[in-house]
Amino acid sequence: MTKLLEWLCGVSTLGAVWALVTFDLLDLSLPQTYREVAWPMPLYLLVSFGCYSLATVGFRVATFNDCEEAAKELQEQIKEAKEDLRKKGLKM
Amino acid sequence: ATGVDQAVGMSIVVFSLLLFTYYSVWVIVLPFVDSDHILHKYFLPREYSVILPGIAAVILLLCIFMWKNRKPKKVD
Repeated sequence: MTKLLEWLCGVSTLGAVWALVTFDLLDLSLPQTYREVAWPMPLYLLVSFGCYSLATVGFRVATFNDCEEAAKELQEQIKEAKEDLRKKGLKM
Repeated sequence: ATGVDQAVGMSIVVFSLLLFTYYSVWVIVLPFVDSDHILHKYFLPREYSVILPGIAAVILLLCIFMWKNRKPKKVD
């Protein structure tokens, strides 16, 4: 079974369970509070995923591994190269 | 990351955690709380818990669309 089929099966099963609870397709007469929690579930999962993505991006920005010395060294080398080329006649 | 980068990153993390907590309480905890409990005062009616993410998604799509379509100023 391919990954796509696996995902589709999982999503359809969860979707079927959600539809059963939200639209009361089997007339199970669940307590009203459980139904009130169940029906916004797809949107809630989407919002949680969005929050998780946002948190991951923010965390990676904050913990990014800057290399200060390497950056300075690179700038020095760029200056040297420019000077060298200027001496040899290349117009910048 | 230093200075501003760290501050911005951390504030994004805190903001998303707050948003997640508020939204979770709104959607999952509130139906189980008695309707005369003081907690309900801090939350909008539950319909808005569906409407507001919808509006936010529309605004996000608009921003993405405008960003993709931006044209640089022509230099004569």
